Amino acid sequence: MVENRPFLTLLAHLVLIVGVVVVVFPVYVAFIASTHGPNDFLSGVVPLTPSTHMIENYSTMLTAGMTNAGAPPIGPMMLNSLIMAIGVAVGKIAISILSAFAIVYFRFPFRTLAFWMIFITLMLPVEVRIVPTYKVVADLGMLNNYGGLIVPLIASATATFLFRQFFLTVPDELMEAARVDGAGPMKFFWDILLPLSITNIAALFIILFVLGWNQYLWPLIITTDQSLYTVVMGIQRMAAVADAEPRWNLVMSAVILAALPPVLVIVAMQRLFVKGLVETEK
Amino acid sequence: MAAINIIDIKKNYGSVPAVRGIDLSVADGEFIVLVGPSGCGKSTLLRMIAGLETVSDGEIQIAGRNVNKAEPAERDIAMVFQNYALYPHMSVRKNLEYGLKNRGTPRTEIDRRIAEVAEILEIGPMLERKPRQLSGGQRQRVAMGRAIVREPAAFLFDEPLSNLDAKLRVQMRVEIRRLQRRLKTTSIYVTHDQLEAMTLADRLVVMNGGLVEQVGTPVDVYDRPASLFVASFIGSPPMNILPLELVRRADGDGLLTLPDATDTLGIRPDDIFTEKPSEPSIRLDAIVELLEPIGGESHLHIRLDESNQTAIVTVPGRPDFSEAAKIPVYIRVASIHPFNRQTGRRTDDL
Repeated sequence: MVENRPFLTLLAHLVLIVGVVVVVFPVYVAFIASTHGPNDFLSGVVPLTPSTHMIENYSTMLTAGMTNAGAPPIGPMMLNSLIMAIGVAVGKIAISILSAFAIVYFRFPFRTLAFWMIFITLMLPVEVRIVPTYKVVADLGMLNNYGGLIVPLIASATATFLFRQFFLTVPDELMEAARVDGAGPMKFFWDILLPLSITNIAALFIILFVLGWNQYLWPLIITTDQSLYTVVMGIQRMAAVADAEPRWNLVMSAVILAALPPVLVIVAMQRLFVKGLVETEK
Repeated sequence: MAAINIIDIKKNYGSVPAVRGIDLSVADGEFIVLVGPSGCGKSTLLRMIAGLETVSDGEIQIAGRNVNKAEPAERDIAMVFQNYALYPHMSVRKNLEYGLKNRGTPRTEIDRRIAEVAEILEIGPMLERKPRQLSGGQRQRVAMGRAIVREPAAFLFDEPLSNLDAKLRVQMRVEIRRLQRRLKTTSIYVTHDQLEAMTLADRLVVMNGGLVEQVGTPVDVYDRPASLFVASFIGSPPMNILPLELVRRADGDGLLTLPDATDTLGIRPDDIFTEKPSEPSIRLDAIVELLEPIGGESHLHIRLDESNQTAIVTVPGRPDFSEAAKIPVYIRVASIHPFNRQTGRRTDDL
C-alpha cells in the first residue's frame, strides 16, 4: 500500500474513472436530454451534446407540467414526495427507536418473542405483502390520502435492529447512573439515549428519506387521485403515453428535478452521515 | 448522612446464589470497604444497596427505613462507577447538575453546590469541557463530584480506582480518604485490591463465595485473620500456610501450645527471620529458591526442610543469599496463627 509503483497507480485511477463514467453517464444523458427541444429524439439517436432548450423545458415542467399526458405539474408531485419521504423517515425513526428502547432496556413478558417477530418482518419485503396491505389500507379508508402513503411503510425492522445494536453498545452504567440521579425511563431516553443516538439518527434519516422518496410501487397502487401522485410514479405516467412519442425532453427534466432533493439531503448531511456510520461516541 | 443496616440479605441469579445471607451494620459516617476476589458477591451486595439489583431475601435499611422496594433515586445514595459513567454528551457542569435538576433543586442552590464541589475537587477550570476531553484522573474527580454535589446519605463506590494507573491510584486513594474524613458521609467502597482496602477502611468486610469471612478494622483483620481465606487474601506477600507437623517436627523445645483442632499454621512473611530473634522461635532448615529485591526490602522464596513446602520471607535490605544455599530460618512462636483446614477457621478464637 505504501510502495510507489506508477503502473499500479495508473491502473487504480483507470478503474476508478471507468467506474465513475459508468455511474455518471446515464445521469449525464438525462441532463443533456433535458436541454433539447421536443423533436430532437424522433431520429432515435440519443444526443450527447447540450442544446438550448434547457430553461424552456424546466420552466414548462415547473409551471404547467405534462397535464396532457395524464400527469399533474411537478411542483405538487414533488411536494407529495417530500411529505411522504419525510413522513416515512421521521415515522420510521420515531417508532423504531422506541421499539429498540423497549426491547433493550425493559424486561417484559415475551420480550424475546417480540424481538424475533420484528426481526422476521425483515424477511418480508413490501412487495410480498402488498395485496393484503392494500386490502387493510382500503378498508381503513386511507386510499388517496397521505395516511395511506405513509402509514403502511412507517415501521422498519432494519432501523429497529440498528438502534438495538447501538443501544447494546451503550454501557449499562450510564443507565444506572441516570437511575441513581433520579431519571425515570423516559427521562433517561430523552436526556441521555437520544442525544447519544443523534449521529445514528442522522445516518438513518438520509437512508430512509431516499428510500421514501424513491417509493414507486406503493404510491402507484394506493393513489388514483392526481393531486396525490408522487414524483417517481409521476415520471412513469409521463413516459407511458399511449399512441404518441413520450416527450423525453420534459421527462428527463422531471427526472433531474426528482433526483435533486435526495442529492441535497445527502450533501447537506454527509458529515453526520459518515460519522454515524463509522463512529460510536460513548 | 445515615446508618445502613443489612439484615440477612440474599441474592440468587436463577438457582445460582451470588450473596448467601449477609448481616452488616454500617454506622453513620463510617467508611466500610468490601473486599474479596472477583465473584465473591461484593459488587452484587453494593448494587443491592444502591437499588440496581433486586433483593431475593432479607432487608436493607437506610436511615432506619426499609428500602427493599425503593428506586435508586429514592434511597438518597450516590454511586461512583468503575468506568465513571459520565454522560458523554454533557459538559462537566451538566453532568454535575443533572441529578440535582431531576430533584427540582433551585438554580441558585445548584450553582452554589457546583461552585463548592469544583473548589473541593479542583475541577473549576474544566466545568465547560466534555468528559472525553478529560484525562482518566480528571474523569474520576468529576465522577466523585457528581456524587458529592448531591449531598447524599451515603456514597457507594464500585471499584472506582481500578481504571487508573498505579501512581494516580495512590493519589486518588489518599484524596478519597481525605474527602470522606472532611464530609463525614457514610461510605461503602468495593475493591479487590487489598492495599486499597487496608488504607481506606474504618472497617473491612472480607467476603468470599457470597458470605462474609470477617468484619473488623484493617489492623484487626491483618493481625488476627479469622479464617485461612482471610489470612491468605489480606497481606502482601500473602501469609505462608504451613502444615502443623512440619513445624512441630522442628520444634525440639516443645514451644508450640496450640488448640486441639489446629492442623495448619499461618505465618506472615515478616514473622520469619534469617537471624535468630530474641523472642522464643522455632528453627527450620530451608533452601533458597529465589531472591526478589524490591527496593527497601527483599522477598526470599524458600523451600522448607527438604520437603516441597515453599514459603516467602520478607528480609530487610538486600541480603546476599545465593540460590540453592542452605540457610536456617526462625519462626517467632508468638506470631503463629493456628487454623483448622477442614473448617477453614481460626482455632484460638474465643
